[in-house]
Amino acid sequence: MSETRFESVTRELRATAPSAPEMLRVLVRTLPSPQPRLALRLRPAVSVAIGIAIAVGLGAALIGGFSGAPHQNVANFSPSAGTAGGAATKEVRTPGLLLGSSSSKQAFDDRARALAPVLAPGLRLQRYDVSMSLRVRDLSRSTQAAVRRTRRLGGYVATANYSTGNNTGDSSLDLRVPVQHVQQAIAGFTDLGTILDQHISVGDLQAPLDRTDSRIAALRRVIAELQVKNVRTPAEQMQLDGAKGTLQRLMQSRMNLVREGTYAKISLELTTRKAASKHVTPGRFSRFWSDAGDILGKEAIIVLYALVVAGPFAILAALALLAERARRRHADHRLLEETG
Amino acid sequence: MAEEHLDDVYRYLLYVTGNPHLAEDLAAATFERALRRWRRFDPRRASARTWLCQLARSTALDHFRAEQRRRRREDTYASDVPETDEPVFGEGLSPALDAAVRSLSRGEREVVVLRVVLELDGETVARVLGIRPTAVSTRLSRALQKLEERMVSDVRD
Repeated sequence: MSETRFESVTRELRATAPSAPEMLRVLVRTLPSPQPRLALRLRPAVSVAIGIAIAVGLGAALIGGFSGAPHQNVANFSPSAGTAGGAATKEVRTPGLLLGSSSSKQAFDDRARALAPVLAPGLRLQRYDVSMSLRVRDLSRSTQAAVRRTRRLGGYVATANYSTGNNTGDSSLDLRVPVQHVQQAIAGFTDLGTILDQHISVGDLQAPLDRTDSRIAALRRVIAELQVKNVRTPAEQMQLDGAKGTLQRLMQSRMNLVREGTYAKISLELTTRKAASKHVTPGRFSRFWSDAGDILGKEAIIVLYALVVAGPFAILAALALLAERARRRHADHRLLEETG
Repeated sequence: MAEEHLDDVYRYLLYVTGNPHLAEDLAAATFERALRRWRRFDPRRASARTWLCQLARSTALDHFRAEQRRRRREDTYASDVPETDEPVFGEGLSPALDAAVRSLSRGEREVVVLRVVLELDGETVARVLGIRPTAVSTRLSRALQKLEERMVSDVRD
Protein backbone atom coordinates (compact mmCIF):
# COMPACT_ATOMS: atom_id res chain seq x y z
CA MET A 1 0.00 0.00 0.00
CA SER A 2 1.36 3.38 -0.98
CA GLU A 3 2.13 5.96 1.69
CA THR A 4 -0.65 8.31 0.53
CA ARG A 5 -3.15 5.52 0.33
CA PHE A 6 -2.16 4.24 3.73
CA GLU A 7 -2.54 7.68 5.31
CA SER A 8 -5.91 8.15 3.65
CA VAL A 9 -7.18 4.78 4.87
CA THR A 10 -5.78 5.36 8.33
CA ARG A 11 -7.35 8.82 8.59
CA GLU A 12 -10.72 7.48 7.45
CA LEU A 13 -10.68 4.51 9.78
CA ARG A 14 -9.73 6.65 12.76
CA ALA A 15 -12.20 9.44 11.93
CA THR A 16 -15.11 7.07 11.56
CA ALA A 17 -14.18 4.77 14.44
CA PRO A 18 -17.42 4.01 16.22
CA SER A 19 -18.07 4.92 19.83
CA ALA A 20 -19.59 2.52 22.31
CA PRO A 21 -23.39 2.57 22.33
CA GLU A 22 -25.08 4.55 25.10
CA MET A 23 -26.68 1.39 26.48
CA LEU A 24 -23.28 -0.19 26.94
CA ARG A 25 -22.00 2.99 28.56
CA VAL A 26 -24.89 2.96 31.02
CA LEU A 27 -24.29 -0.73 31.74
CA VAL A 28 -20.61 -0.17 32.45
CA ARG A 29 -21.45 2.80 34.71
CA THR A 30 -23.67 0.54 36.81
CA LEU A 31 -20.86 -1.92 37.46
CA PRO A 32 -19.66 -1.76 41.07
CA SER A 33 -16.30 -0.20 41.87
CA PRO A 34 -13.48 -2.70 41.84
CA GLN A 35 -12.01 -3.83 45.16
CA PRO A 36 -8.48 -2.72 45.92
CA ARG A 37 -5.82 -4.91 44.42
CA LEU A 38 -4.04 -7.49 46.50
CA ALA A 39 -1.05 -5.95 48.18
CA LEU A 40 0.91 -9.19 47.97
CA ARG A 41 1.41 -10.30 44.39
CA LEU A 42 2.93 -13.53 43.24
CA ARG A 43 6.36 -12.31 42.16
CA PRO A 44 7.12 -10.32 45.35
CA ALA A 45 5.68 -13.20 47.38
CA VAL A 46 8.05 -15.65 45.69
CA SER A 47 10.96 -13.26 46.31
CA VAL A 48 9.99 -12.96 49.98
CA ALA A 49 9.65 -16.75 50.28
CA ILE A 50 13.12 -17.27 48.77
CA GLY A 51 14.52 -14.61 51.11
CA ILE A 52 12.92 -16.27 54.13
CA ALA A 53 14.26 -19.69 53.05
CA ILE A 54 17.78 -18.30 52.70
CA ALA A 55 17.48 -16.51 56.06
CA VAL A 56 16.27 -19.71 57.75
CA GLY A 57 19.13 -21.69 56.19
CA LEU A 58 21.74 -19.17 57.28
CA GLY A 59 20.12 -18.84 60.70
CA ALA A 60 20.19 -22.60 61.20
CA ALA A 61 23.86 -22.66 60.21
CA LEU A 62 24.71 -19.83 62.60
CA ILE A 63 22.72 -21.34 65.47
CA GLY A 64 24.35 -24.71 64.76
CA GLY A 65 27.73 -22.98 64.78
CA PHE A 66 27.03 -21.31 68.14
CA SER A 67 25.63 -24.42 69.78
CA GLY A 68 28.18 -26.81 68.26
CA ALA A 69 31.37 -24.88 69.04
CA PRO A 70 31.54 -25.31 72.85
CA HIS A 71 30.94 -29.07 72.69
CA GLN A 72 34.26 -29.74 70.98
CA ASN A 73 36.38 -29.53 74.05
CA VAL A 74 39.97 -30.74 73.92
CA ALA A 75 39.97 -34.15 75.53
CA ASN A 76 43.09 -35.85 74.32
CA PHE A 77 44.09 -37.74 77.35
CA SER A 78 41.21 -39.23 79.23
CA PRO A 79 40.86 -42.88 80.19
CA SER A 80 38.05 -44.54 78.26
CA ALA A 81 37.32 -47.44 80.58
CA GLY A 82 37.07 -48.25 84.26
CA THR A 83 39.85 -49.31 86.62
CA ALA A 84 41.73 -52.57 86.35
CA GLY A 85 40.15 -53.93 89.49
CA GLY A 86 36.63 -53.69 88.13
CA ALA A 87 37.06 -54.15 84.42
CA ALA A 88 39.31 -56.55 82.56
CA THR A 89 41.01 -53.92 80.44
CA LYS A 90 41.97 -50.31 80.85
CA GLU A 91 43.03 -48.20 77.88
CA VAL A 92 44.66 -44.82 77.58
CA ARG A 93 45.16 -43.25 74.20
CA THR A 94 46.64 -40.01 72.90
CA PRO A 95 45.17 -39.35 69.46
CA GLY A 96 47.24 -37.95 66.57
CA LEU A 97 49.15 -35.23 68.31
CA LEU A 98 52.01 -33.21 66.94
CA LEU A 99 53.75 -31.23 69.56
CA GLY A 100 55.23 -28.19 67.97
CA SER A 101 55.58 -25.69 70.73
CA SER A 102 57.29 -26.11 74.05
CA SER A 103 54.08 -25.33 75.89
CA SER A 104 52.34 -28.19 74.07
CA LYS A 105 55.18 -30.54 74.97
CA GLN A 106 54.95 -29.45 78.57
CA ALA A 107 51.23 -30.13 78.53
CA PHE A 108 51.85 -33.56 77.08
CA ASP A 109 54.43 -34.38 79.71
CA ASP A 110 51.95 -33.37 82.37
CA ARG A 111 49.43 -35.77 80.91
CA ALA A 112 52.07 -38.49 80.68
CA ARG A 113 52.75 -38.07 84.39
CA ALA A 114 49.05 -38.55 85.02
CA LEU A 115 49.44 -42.02 83.55
CA ALA A 116 51.69 -43.19 86.34
CA PRO A 117 48.98 -44.74 88.57
CA VAL A 118 47.62 -46.61 85.59
CA LEU A 119 50.98 -48.16 84.75
CA ALA A 120 52.21 -48.85 88.26
CA PRO A 121 52.30 -52.66 88.54
CA GLY A 122 50.54 -53.98 91.59
CA LEU A 123 50.31 -57.42 93.19
CA ARG A 124 47.93 -58.71 90.55
CA LEU A 125 49.20 -60.27 87.37
CA GLN A 126 48.45 -57.88 84.50
CA ARG A 127 49.06 -57.72 80.76
CA TYR A 128 50.51 -54.49 79.37
CA ASP A 129 50.23 -53.56 75.70
CA VAL A 130 51.84 -50.29 74.70
CA SER A 131 52.13 -48.85 71.22
CA MET A 132 53.97 -45.63 70.57
CA SER A 133 54.65 -43.66 67.44
CA LEU A 134 57.43 -41.07 67.48
CA ARG A 135 58.99 -38.69 65.03
CA VAL A 136 62.79 -38.65 65.49
CA ARG A 137 65.66 -36.70 63.95
CA ASP A 138 68.19 -39.55 63.65
CA LEU A 139 66.50 -42.86 62.97
CA SER A 140 69.56 -45.07 63.43
CA ARG A 141 70.66 -43.50 66.68
CA SER A 142 67.12 -43.48 68.10
CA THR A 143 66.55 -47.12 67.16
CA GLN A 144 69.81 -48.15 68.81
CA ALA A 145 68.94 -46.09 71.88
CA ALA A 146 65.55 -47.80 72.14
CA VAL A 147 67.14 -51.25 71.90
CA ARG A 148 69.82 -50.34 74.48
CA ARG A 149 67.25 -49.00 76.89
CA THR A 150 65.12 -52.14 76.50
CA ARG A 151 68.06 -54.40 77.28
CA ARG A 152 69.17 -52.23 80.20
CA LEU A 153 65.71 -52.66 81.71
CA GLY A 154 65.94 -56.42 81.41
CA GLY A 155 63.89 -56.73 78.26
CA TYR A 156 64.55 -57.95 74.74
CA VAL A 157 63.70 -57.21 71.11
CA ALA A 158 61.09 -59.61 69.67
CA THR A 159 61.13 -58.22 66.13
CA ALA A 160 62.74 -55.22 64.45
CA ASN A 161 62.18 -53.63 61.06
CA TYR A 162 64.37 -50.84 59.83
CA SER A 163 64.08 -49.11 56.46
CA THR A 164 65.50 -45.87 55.11
CA GLY A 165 64.98 -43.96 51.86
CA ASN A 166 66.65 -40.87 50.41
CA ASN A 167 65.36 -38.46 52.96
CA THR A 168 63.08 -40.41 55.24
CA GLY A 169 63.16 -43.62 57.19
CA ASP A 170 61.00 -45.79 59.42
CA SER A 171 61.74 -48.42 61.99
CA SER A 172 59.36 -50.70 63.77
CA LEU A 173 60.37 -52.42 67.03
CA ASP A 174 58.41 -55.06 68.87
CA LEU A 175 59.86 -55.02 72.38
CA ARG A 176 59.33 -56.98 75.58
CA VAL A 177 60.07 -55.14 78.83
CA PRO A 178 59.52 -56.45 82.38
CA VAL A 179 56.26 -55.00 83.66
CA GLN A 180 57.91 -53.44 86.68
CA HIS A 181 59.99 -51.30 84.29
CA VAL A 182 57.32 -50.42 81.76
CA GLN A 183 56.88 -46.91 83.11
CA GLN A 184 60.60 -46.23 82.86
CA ALA A 185 60.65 -47.65 79.35
CA ILE A 186 57.86 -45.35 78.18
CA ALA A 187 59.51 -42.34 79.79
CA GLY A 188 62.78 -43.25 78.07
CA PHE A 189 61.18 -43.72 74.65
CA THR A 190 59.36 -40.39 75.00
CA ASP A 191 62.72 -38.67 75.15
CA LEU A 192 63.70 -40.08 71.75
CA GLY A 193 61.55 -37.63 69.77
CA THR A 194 58.12 -36.16 69.33
CA ILE A 195 55.18 -38.37 70.20
CA LEU A 196 52.77 -38.71 67.32
CA ASP A 197 50.50 -41.33 68.82
CA GLN A 198 50.44 -43.43 71.97
CA HIS A 199 48.18 -46.25 73.07
CA ILE A 200 48.40 -48.12 76.36
CA SER A 201 46.24 -51.08 77.27
CA VAL A 202 46.28 -52.84 80.65
CA GLY A 203 44.43 -56.15 81.03
CA ASP A 204 43.90 -58.22 84.15
CA LEU A 205 45.37 -61.77 84.09
CA GLN A 206 44.98 -62.58 87.78
CA ALA A 207 41.45 -63.99 87.51
CA PRO A 208 42.29 -66.52 84.75
CA LEU A 209 45.49 -67.40 86.64
CA ASP A 210 43.54 -68.09 89.83
CA ARG A 211 41.06 -70.24 87.95
CA THR A 212 43.90 -72.20 86.36
CA ASP A 213 45.62 -72.67 89.74
CA SER A 214 42.47 -74.03 91.38
CA ARG A 215 41.94 -76.47 88.49
CA ILE A 216 45.56 -77.61 88.76
CA ALA A 217 45.19 -78.14 92.50
CA ALA A 218 42.02 -80.16 91.96
CA LEU A 219 43.67 -82.31 89.28
CA ARG A 220 46.68 -82.93 91.50
CA ARG A 221 44.42 -84.17 94.26
CA VAL A 222 42.67 -86.54 91.84
CA ILE A 223 46.00 -87.83 90.50
CA ALA A 224 47.36 -88.34 94.01
CA GLU A 225 44.27 -90.31 95.03
CA LEU A 226 44.54 -92.51 91.97
CA GLN A 227 48.28 -93.05 92.31
CA VAL A 228 47.88 -94.22 95.92
CA LYS A 229 45.98 -97.29 94.71
CA ASN A 230 48.27 -100.19 93.83
CA VAL A 231 45.73 -101.85 91.60
CA ARG A 232 43.58 -99.66 89.33
CA THR A 233 40.66 -100.64 87.18
CA PRO A 234 40.90 -99.81 83.47
CA ALA A 235 38.48 -96.91 83.98
CA GLU A 236 40.59 -95.52 86.81
CA GLN A 237 43.72 -95.88 84.71
CA MET A 238 42.02 -93.96 81.88
CA GLN A 239 40.95 -91.27 84.36
CA LEU A 240 44.53 -91.00 85.65
CA ASP A 241 45.97 -90.68 82.17
CA GLY A 242 43.38 -88.04 81.22
CA ALA A 243 44.05 -86.07 84.41
CA LYS A 244 47.77 -86.09 83.78
CA GLY A 245 47.27 -84.84 80.20
CA THR A 246 44.94 -82.07 81.34
CA LEU A 247 47.36 -81.13 84.11
CA GLN A 248 50.14 -80.80 81.58
CA ARG A 249 48.02 -78.50 79.37
CA LEU A 250 46.99 -76.38 82.32
CA MET A 251 50.60 -76.04 83.47
CA GLN A 252 51.53 -74.84 79.99
CA SER A 253 48.64 -72.42 80.00
CA ARG A 254 49.66 -71.11 83.40
CA MET A 255 53.21 -70.63 82.20
CA ASN A 256 51.95 -68.65 79.24
CA LEU A 257 49.83 -66.43 81.47
CA VAL A 258 52.73 -65.78 83.81
CA ARG A 259 55.00 -64.99 80.88
CA GLU A 260 52.36 -62.66 79.47
CA GLY A 261 52.14 -60.88 82.80
CA THR A 262 55.90 -60.71 83.26
CA TYR A 263 56.78 -58.81 80.12
CA ALA A 264 54.95 -55.81 78.67
CA LYS A 265 54.55 -55.71 74.90
CA ILE A 266 55.75 -52.44 73.49
CA SER A 267 55.33 -51.65 69.79
CA LEU A 268 57.54 -48.74 68.95
CA GLU A 269 57.23 -46.96 65.58
CA LEU A 270 59.97 -44.48 64.79
CA THR A 271 59.87 -42.24 61.74
CA THR A 272 61.72 -39.27 60.34
CA ARG A 273 58.80 -38.21 58.12
CA LYS A 274 57.56 -34.67 58.51
CA ALA A 275 53.92 -34.18 59.32
CA ALA A 276 51.80 -33.16 56.32
CA SER A 277 50.30 -30.33 58.28
CA LYS A 278 50.46 -29.08 61.77
CA HIS A 279 47.48 -30.18 63.78
CA VAL A 280 46.32 -27.17 65.66
CA THR A 281 43.38 -27.27 68.00
CA PRO A 282 40.90 -24.88 66.42
CA GLY A 283 39.74 -21.89 68.41
CA ARG A 284 36.16 -21.13 69.29
CA PHE A 285 35.77 -18.70 66.38
CA SER A 286 37.12 -21.12 63.77
CA ARG A 287 35.04 -23.96 65.23
CA PHE A 288 31.97 -21.73 64.89
CA TRP A 289 32.69 -21.08 61.21
CA SER A 290 33.52 -24.74 60.66
CA ASP A 291 30.21 -25.87 62.19
CA ALA A 292 28.26 -23.22 60.31
CA GLY A 293 29.99 -24.27 57.09
CA ASP A 294 29.15 -27.92 57.75
CA ILE A 295 25.47 -27.11 58.25
CA LEU A 296 25.41 -24.90 55.16
CA GLY A 297 27.05 -27.70 53.20
CA LYS A 298 24.41 -30.16 54.39
CA GLU A 299 21.66 -27.71 53.47
CA ALA A 300 23.21 -27.27 50.03
CA ILE A 301 23.29 -31.06 49.62
CA ILE A 302 19.61 -31.29 50.56
CA VAL A 303 18.71 -28.51 48.11
CA LEU A 304 20.83 -30.13 45.41
CA TYR A 305 19.21 -33.48 46.11
CA ALA A 306 15.74 -31.94 45.89
CA LEU A 307 16.70 -30.26 42.61
CA VAL A 308 18.08 -33.49 41.19
CA VAL A 309 14.93 -35.37 42.17
CA ALA A 310 12.39 -32.70 41.27
CA GLY A 311 14.32 -31.15 38.37
CA PRO A 312 13.31 -33.63 35.65
CA PHE A 313 9.66 -33.42 36.70
CA ALA A 314 9.80 -29.62 36.72
CA ILE A 315 11.38 -29.61 33.24
CA LEU A 316 8.71 -32.02 31.97
CA ALA A 317 5.96 -29.88 33.50
CA ALA A 318 7.45 -26.73 31.95
CA LEU A 319 7.70 -28.42 28.55
CA ALA A 320 4.11 -29.62 28.82
CA LEU A 321 3.01 -26.11 29.76
CA LEU A 322 4.90 -24.57 26.84
CA ALA A 323 3.47 -27.16 24.44
CA GLU A 324 -0.06 -26.48 25.70
CA ARG A 325 0.43 -22.73 25.30
CA ALA A 326 1.76 -23.17 21.77
CA ARG A 327 -1.14 -25.44 20.87
CA ARG A 328 -3.65 -22.98 22.30
CA ARG A 329 -2.03 -20.05 20.48
CA HIS A 330 -2.14 -21.98 17.22
CA ALA A 331 -5.79 -22.88 17.78
CA ASP A 332 -6.61 -19.23 18.55
CA HIS A 333 -4.83 -18.12 15.41
CA ARG A 334 -6.78 -20.59 13.27
CA LEU A 335 -10.00 -19.45 14.92
CA LEU A 336 -9.25 -15.81 14.14
CA GLU A 337 -8.17 -16.54 10.58
CA GLU A 338 -11.73 -17.46 9.73
CA THR A 339 -13.53 -14.67 7.90
CA GLY A 340 -16.50 -13.65 9.94
CA MET B 1 -11.25 3.78 34.18
CA ALA B 2 -13.94 1.63 32.58
CA GLU B 3 -15.52 4.55 30.73
CA GLU B 4 -12.13 5.87 29.71
CA HIS B 5 -11.31 2.69 27.81
CA LEU B 6 -14.83 1.64 26.87
CA ASP B 7 -14.61 2.97 23.30
CA ASP B 8 -11.29 1.24 22.70
CA VAL B 9 -12.59 -2.10 23.96
CA TYR B 10 -15.80 -1.74 21.94
CA ARG B 11 -13.90 -0.82 18.74
CA TYR B 12 -11.54 -3.72 19.17
CA LEU B 13 -14.40 -6.16 19.64
CA LEU B 14 -16.36 -4.66 16.77
CA TYR B 15 -13.45 -5.20 14.40
CA VAL B 16 -12.76 -8.70 15.66
CA THR B 17 -16.37 -9.86 15.55
CA GLY B 18 -17.66 -7.65 12.72
CA ASN B 19 -20.99 -7.51 14.56
CA PRO B 20 -22.02 -4.41 16.58
CA HIS B 21 -24.50 -6.28 18.77
CA LEU B 22 -22.06 -9.07 19.54
CA ALA B 23 -19.32 -6.49 20.18
CA GLU B 24 -21.62 -4.75 22.66
CA ASP B 25 -22.35 -8.00 24.49
CA LEU B 26 -18.72 -9.02 24.56
CA ALA B 27 -17.65 -5.54 25.75
CA ALA B 28 -20.05 -5.83 28.68
CA ALA B 29 -18.71 -9.32 29.42
CA THR B 30 -15.16 -7.99 29.21
CA PHE B 31 -15.80 -5.32 31.83
CA GLU B 32 -17.54 -7.78 34.10
CA ARG B 33 -14.53 -10.04 33.78
CA ALA B 34 -12.21 -7.10 34.42
CA LEU B 35 -14.12 -6.34 37.60
CA ARG B 36 -13.69 -9.91 38.80
CA ARG B 37 -9.99 -10.00 37.90
CA TRP B 38 -9.13 -6.50 39.01
CA ARG B 39 -6.96 -7.83 41.82
CA ARG B 40 -4.69 -9.54 39.31
CA PHE B 41 -4.06 -6.35 37.34
CA ASP B 42 -0.45 -5.19 37.69
CA PRO B 43 0.10 -1.67 36.29
CA ARG B 44 3.86 -2.29 36.20
CA ARG B 45 3.47 -5.07 33.65
CA ALA B 46 0.96 -3.39 31.30
CA SER B 47 -1.31 -0.36 31.09
CA ALA B 48 -4.99 -0.69 31.89
CA ARG B 49 -5.78 -0.24 28.20
CA THR B 50 -3.49 -3.14 27.20
CA TRP B 51 -4.87 -5.32 29.98
CA LEU B 52 -8.45 -4.60 28.93
CA CYS B 53 -7.60 -5.40 25.30
CA GLN B 54 -6.11 -8.73 26.44
CA LEU B 55 -9.27 -9.47 28.41
CA ALA B 56 -11.43 -8.47 25.46
CA ARG B 57 -9.44 -10.78 23.22
CA SER B 58 -9.80 -13.76 25.56
CA THR B 59 -13.53 -13.01 25.93
CA ALA B 60 -13.92 -12.95 22.14
CA LEU B 61 -11.92 -16.14 21.73
CA ASP B 62 -14.07 -17.87 24.35
CA HIS B 63 -17.13 -16.79 22.38
CA PHE B 64 -15.67 -18.02 19.07
CA ARG B 65 -14.79 -21.38 20.60
CA ALA B 66 -18.31 -21.74 21.99
CA GLU B 67 -19.69 -20.82 18.56
CA GLN B 68 -17.42 -23.36 16.91
CA ARG B 69 -18.66 -26.08 19.23
CA ARG B 70 -22.26 -25.03 18.59
CA ARG B 71 -21.70 -25.10 14.81
CA ARG B 72 -20.29 -28.60 15.04
CA ARG B 73 -23.44 -29.72 16.82
CA GLU B 74 -25.86 -27.94 14.47
CA ASP B 75 -26.02 -28.26 10.72
CA THR B 76 -27.13 -24.70 10.04
CA TYR B 77 -26.09 -21.61 11.90
CA ALA B 78 -26.52 -17.88 11.63
CA SER B 79 -23.47 -15.90 10.59
CA ASP B 80 -21.99 -13.49 13.11
CA VAL B 81 -21.72 -10.81 10.45
CA PRO B 82 -25.10 -9.22 9.73
CA GLU B 83 -26.10 -8.97 6.08
CA THR B 84 -26.61 -5.21 5.80
CA ASP B 85 -25.68 -2.40 3.47
CA GLU B 86 -24.96 -0.04 6.33
CA PRO B 87 -21.30 0.35 7.30
CA VAL B 88 -20.39 -1.89 10.20
CA PHE B 89 -17.02 -0.48 11.19
CA GLY B 90 -18.02 3.13 11.65
CA GLU B 91 -20.58 5.78 10.68
CA GLY B 92 -19.44 7.60 7.56
CA LEU B 93 -16.98 4.92 6.49
CA SER B 94 -16.92 4.59 2.71
CA PRO B 95 -18.74 1.46 1.53
CA ALA B 96 -15.63 0.31 -0.36
CA LEU B 97 -13.39 0.51 2.69
CA ASP B 98 -16.08 -1.04 4.89
CA ALA B 99 -16.49 -3.93 2.48
CA ALA B 100 -12.71 -4.34 2.24
CA VAL B 101 -12.35 -4.46 6.03
CA ARG B 102 -15.23 -6.89 6.20
CA SER B 103 -13.44 -9.18 3.74
CA LEU B 104 -10.45 -9.49 6.04
CA SER B 105 -10.16 -12.38 8.48
CA ARG B 106 -10.76 -11.75 12.18
CA GLY B 107 -7.04 -12.02 12.82
CA GLU B 108 -6.24 -9.43 10.15
CA ARG B 109 -8.96 -7.05 11.37
CA GLU B 110 -7.59 -7.52 14.89
CA VAL B 111 -4.12 -6.30 14.01
CA VAL B 112 -5.56 -3.41 11.93
CA VAL B 113 -7.75 -2.16 14.77
CA LEU B 114 -4.98 -2.40 17.33
CA ARG B 115 -2.24 -0.78 15.24
CA VAL B 116 -4.25 1.64 13.07
CA VAL B 117 -7.48 2.52 14.87
CA LEU B 118 -6.37 2.29 18.51
CA GLU B 119 -2.83 3.42 17.59
CA LEU B 120 -1.06 0.97 19.90
CA ASP B 121 2.66 0.52 19.32
CA GLY B 122 4.09 -2.74 18.00
CA GLU B 123 5.35 -3.93 21.37
CA THR B 124 1.96 -3.46 23.02
CA VAL B 125 0.13 -5.18 20.18
CA ALA B 126 2.59 -8.05 20.39
CA ARG B 127 1.85 -8.32 24.12
CA VAL B 128 -1.91 -8.34 23.51
CA LEU B 129 -1.67 -10.97 20.78
CA GLY B 130 1.00 -13.04 22.52
CA ILE B 131 3.35 -12.97 19.53
CA ARG B 132 6.65 -11.25 18.62
CA PRO B 133 6.67 -7.61 17.37
CA THR B 134 8.09 -8.74 14.00
CA ALA B 135 5.11 -11.05 13.56
CA VAL B 136 2.83 -8.08 14.26
CA SER B 137 4.51 -6.06 11.48
CA THR B 138 4.16 -8.99 9.07
CA ARG B 139 0.52 -9.50 9.88
CA LEU B 140 -0.26 -5.79 9.54
CA SER B 141 1.57 -5.58 6.23
CA ARG B 142 -0.37 -8.54 4.82
CA ALA B 143 -3.68 -7.16 6.11
CA LEU B 144 -3.09 -3.74 4.53
CA GLN B 145 -2.02 -5.32 1.26
CA LYS B 146 -5.17 -7.41 1.22
CA LEU B 147 -7.22 -4.34 2.07
CA GLU B 148 -5.76 -2.42 -0.85
CA GLU B 149 -6.26 -5.30 -3.27
CA ARG B 150 -9.87 -5.58 -2.25
CA MET B 151 -10.47 -1.82 -2.61
CA VAL B 152 -8.81 -1.74 -6.06
CA SER B 153 -10.89 -4.66 -7.26
CA ASP B 154 -14.07 -2.95 -5.96
CA VAL B 155 -13.17 0.21 -7.89
CA ARG B 156 -12.65 -1.84 -11.08
CA ASP B 157 -16.01 -3.58 -10.58
